[in-house]
Amino acid sequence: MVKALKGVLVQCDPSIKAILLKIDADSGNEYIIEDLDEETLFVKESKVASLKEKLKVTLRETVRENTDSDSE
Amino acid sequence: MNASSDTMTANPQALEVLQGFPGTKLEQLYRQPSTALAVFRRMLPHLAKTIVMAMLYMPNPFLASDLDAWIRPDAVAEKEQALLVLTSLHIMSTSLQAQGPRAYILGKAFAKSLRQALTGSGEHKSFGVPCRPPGNDVVDVKTLDDHARRQWEDILYYMVGSTTVGVEGQSHISDATKSLLELGNFVDKRGRITQTGFTFLLQEVNAQVWSLLIVYLNRAPELLKMDSVDILSFIFMLGSLELGQGYSTANLSSTQKQMLDDLGDFGIIYRPSLKTPIFYPTRLATTLTSDASALHSSAAAPTPTFDTGLAGGSGAASKGYIIVETNYRLYAYTESMLQISVLALFTRLTMLFPNMVTGRLTKTSVQRAIAQGITADQIISYLAAHAHPQMLKSTPVLPPTVVDQIRLWQIEGDRMTTTSGYMMIEFATEAEYRDTVEYAETVGLLVWKSDAKRCFFVNRIEQIRSFMSNRRAARA
Repeated sequence: MVKALKGVLVQCDPSIKAILLKIDADSGNEYIIEDLDEETLFVKESKVASLKEKLKVTLRETVRENTDSDSE
Repeated sequence: MNASSDTMTANPQALEVLQGFPGTKLEQLYRQPSTALAVFRRMLPHLAKTIVMAMLYMPNPFLASDLDAWIRPDAVAEKEQALLVLTSLHIMSTSLQAQGPRAYILGKAFAKSLRQALTGSGEHKSFGVPCRPPGNDVVDVKTLDDHARRQWEDILYYMVGSTTVGVEGQSHISDATKSLLELGNFVDKRGRITQTGFTFLLQEVNAQVWSLLIVYLNRAPELLKMDSVDILSFIFMLGSLELGQGYSTANLSSTQKQMLDDLGDFGIIYRPSLKTPIFYPTRLATTLTSDASALHSSAAAPTPTFDTGLAGGSGAASKGYIIVETNYRLYAYTESMLQISVLALFTRLTMLFPNMVTGRLTKTSVQRAIAQGITADQIISYLAAHAHPQMLKSTPVLPPTVVDQIRLWQIEGDRMTTTSGYMMIEFATEAEYRDTVEYAETVGLLVWKSDAKRCFFVNRIEQIRSFMSNRRAARA
């Protein structure tokens, strides 16, 4: 019998996916329902916002960005 | 952009609300010819209109096989879409004859009302009862436009006012409207604009009016003990009225009389005095169910472009005022604080002159806007819609570098795209999987699939469900 699972499909670069997998592993598999392919994950709907937030924090810590694009 | 926006003349929000109504309530609604006509004109995709027109005077159920013969094979997706809208609005249903081939019939109430609307028959008074004011005190169109603009801009002012210093204290909107904006989640409890509010602000006026009316429709029944059918049929009736004509309040239901006050606050209708039993629809009302643009787009200048904008009479689009250069500099020829504060949402404004402001689109300013919930596409379409006539001479209107960069700034902040929906798994046979996934692809619901794992992801499920049960029924 066919089943329908509610959730959120997350599509991203493989590099971002690696970070997401790490976040998930560190938190005891709280976020991801299934790892679908290189660029796709199936995530619990209630957890998407917090996953996004964690990704942002991680990126801010690791990636140094050029911030002087504002100069006149 | 969204492919369906071309074929659908409808306002998507209004359509969604109607689809959420139970069948009995829709049936009640369709008894008003004005409602039936408005739904027909505004909510249906073109193909659905054609089907309804063809079936309107058909005495017998319309065979599904005949319908299939009418539709070109390459337009199956459109046909499915049309049928889905028609059935979800309870305009059309599958005929209930136990034996015999599948056939469609139009809902009785809808068909009767639409026929009445088209031929002008019946004593329904659902298109309003025109009346002349006592003492020939006719209200002219300009007064109506002034009223509509003032009321509506006050609402917008109130919303942007919370973000920009210096605009505060300029708006005078009623407490009822304030609490409505709060209920609709356009502003939060402290009166600060929210993400939904930003999206609201950058929409066309017509879409804004609908958004607000839908909040009203959702909330009024519980708060003010109003009947939602009455509210909605009044809204649809307003859409069919004529600008500059006065209408009698005598034949309105008690709910609808109660609504007059609130709609007056929004600037959708105008009442010269509370004593005379007469109201005038403004341009905001008469464009509700048509394609013509109401006022002009969100931030219209109150004084300078006023004459050019509305004196044209047909609600002609306002003159644009924004110039964007390839070096991200932006010049806006406006004096309106409202327009300036909208621009300030995503621009770093540097100088203010008597008749213009200058600024620059920067990574920080655009990403700040995006963090607040404005999308890059909204910014781009706002800039394009309000481009200065000088800019309109070139194609594309906006410098491509700027457009691309705004999009890139958005992507940079958002490293993953998320789609909520349903994962379909555990298909029994390969054939079942293949048929369903093909169907999902034709109707445009498919987001992701894996043939190897025999599963796929769709953003909506109702249509898939009915397809699968039809398929099973056909097999049985």
